[in-house]
Amino acid sequence: MKKADLITAIVLLVLSGYVIQDAWQMPPSATFGPGPSFLPFWLGVVLAVFATILFVSAWCRQATKKDSEPVFPGKQALLGIVLILVGLAGYIFLVEVLGYLVDTFLFIVFLMKVVEHEKWRLTLTVAVSTTAALFIIFQFLLQIKLPSNMFGL
Amino acid sequence: MDIFNNLILGFHVAASWENILFCFIGVLIGTLIGVLPGIGPTTGIAILIPITFGMSATTAIITLAGVYYGAMYGGSTTSILINLPGESASVMTMLDGYQMARKGRAGPALGMAALASFIAGTFAIIMLTLIAPPLASYAVSFGPPEYFALTFMGLTLVSALGGDKPLKAYISAVLGLLVACVGIDAISGVARFTYGSLNLLDGVGFIGMAIGLFAVSEILENMEEPIKQVFSDTKLGFRSLFPNLRDWKDSFGALWRGSLLGFFIGTLPGSGATLCSFIAYAVEKRISKHPEKFGTGAIEGVAAPEGANNAAAGGAMVPMLTLGIPSGAATAVMLGALMIHGLRPGPMLFSTNPQFVWGLIASMYIGNVFLVILNMPLIGIWVKFLKIPYNVLIPLILTISATGIFATDNNVFDMWIMFFFGLVGYVMRKLDFPAAPMVLALVIGRLVEMSLRQSLTISHGSISIFFTRPISGVLTVIALISLFFPLLRILWNRYRRGKKTTA
Repeated sequence: MKKADLITAIVLLVLSGYVIQDAWQMPPSATFGPGPSFLPFWLGVVLAVFATILFVSAWCRQATKKDSEPVFPGKQALLGIVLILVGLAGYIFLVEVLGYLVDTFLFIVFLMKVVEHEKWRLTLTVAVSTTAALFIIFQFLLQIKLPSNMFGL
Repeated sequence: MDIFNNLILGFHVAASWENILFCFIGVLIGTLIGVLPGIGPTTGIAILIPITFGMSATTAIITLAGVYYGAMYGGSTTSILINLPGESASVMTMLDGYQMARKGRAGPALGMAALASFIAGTFAIIMLTLIAPPLASYAVSFGPPEYFALTFMGLTLVSALGGDKPLKAYISAVLGLLVACVGIDAISGVARFTYGSLNLLDGVGFIGMAIGLFAVSEILENMEEPIKQVFSDTKLGFRSLFPNLRDWKDSFGALWRGSLLGFFIGTLPGSGATLCSFIAYAVEKRISKHPEKFGTGAIEGVAAPEGANNAAAGGAMVPMLTLGIPSGAATAVMLGALMIHGLRPGPMLFSTNPQFVWGLIASMYIGNVFLVILNMPLIGIWVKFLKIPYNVLIPLILTISATGIFATDNNVFDMWIMFFFGLVGYVMRKLDFPAAPMVLALVIGRLVEMSLRQSLTISHGSISIFFTRPISGVLTVIALISLFFPLLRILWNRYRRGKKTTA
């Protein structure tokens, strides 16, 4: 955690410098009173102060038992997390190409089969019923036009 | 007398078939969310917001509020039966509740949890009915400096009280305020931090961020350690649920102290139901004549935290409805929903939308009655829901979230916001940065900025305006004290240690 805090503090410092620079380049207030850059600029300054405190306190702190434990989980769990994120990104990316019905169905199958290694029967039951239920609720009851593919599905 | 008339108006609104139905659906879903470990009330509310779009604002918030206080009931069930809290506010109920269950007294523990929830919940709504109107009419006179001081205090209190890492909470709040700056500045019309993206001109979508930070990151974190499935084979007859006279006598004091504490601490920004239940349990243990019984199955240990977390859910409504300031993550998300439905939160709500405010308050009386009915005779059914494997919940939560977010604006970009904040939220969880201050800051960010800039325009740039006006002066001082409180505590400890070594 100690090392993680140091890295976080540096990332936040870079971010605050970026925010301050960006605020600096905003147009000045056209009317009387503080302009659009006022709050971002000071937020950047405050963030820099907090990040410095975080850095210094992490630097000076004696390493505790918790510090020696890894922050992020082991390979097995991390793989699951990455798979979910990849699946979700693919789902969002493809929703306007494949259409809502196909895309949602495939996403659920991916989650249950690839990520969770469930049996086919359960996977298909959940995928079909969830996709159908969501489609009925949103498309028909709430009258939302969900994305469709080139075949209109 | 006014209050009486207003309540009649409220019940008139709340008793329409539509509102009764959705109040019932809300508390039903709330109980379910409370029972299921791995999904908390904030996540539940955030996911459900898009589904409420077709409803009127009143019906929508009645439903979402129902989810919130309904979850407080449901959480106790798993705490008592399988020693696993359904949500964080029922962690304390576990200590004595599970011990009671092990001694074969699961029935009275569950019954006491439900009845204590009902009594404390109703007490909190009565207090809300009495306190909110005068507070709102007092707050109507607030100008920009008061609003800035109030929102500033809300942010510092949420960060200072919200956990044991105040510095990280402050950073989280500052980042949230920065996210709120994205988009077109309402005063000057300048686009900030948009980098030419048309999607960002309106600012970062609140629902996408909230669902990402709470729902998606929660799923990612739960991937690390698969949630254990524990079943309880306790047989629960309806009659066994009623605590006996002795139980009532033991928990009477705990119940009213828990209710009072829960309500008043619950009204403070940043407190939240979890903190209230911790405090209530600690107080009971301290003033008890036999503190050694706590943790071994004392019924007071169930009544106090359960009363406190339900009273806190009512107390949390006070600042949300009267001032437009959320007291924690769940109310922040609800406040965001309020704005999406076109209502302007703040003290004027009571005079401009009395049907909404009183309809909501009245629906909470009705909802509590529903809940006690749902939780007493039907408790066996809820326990069966624990058999739903978490593996089925993951795709459910993700697809409902993604579809709902798409539905808010018919825009795939909002789904990417959910994705981004899901990742950010997961990293924040791992690094001990709390998410609540960030969401709170995004919800009230615009109000913070407007009131700050308006105040400084009034005062010609002098910050003394926040100190010289009495109300904003008091609020600013409270905010500054809570901001520097962690620092003061460190200095105080050092001073005391220094004194000891010299002596």
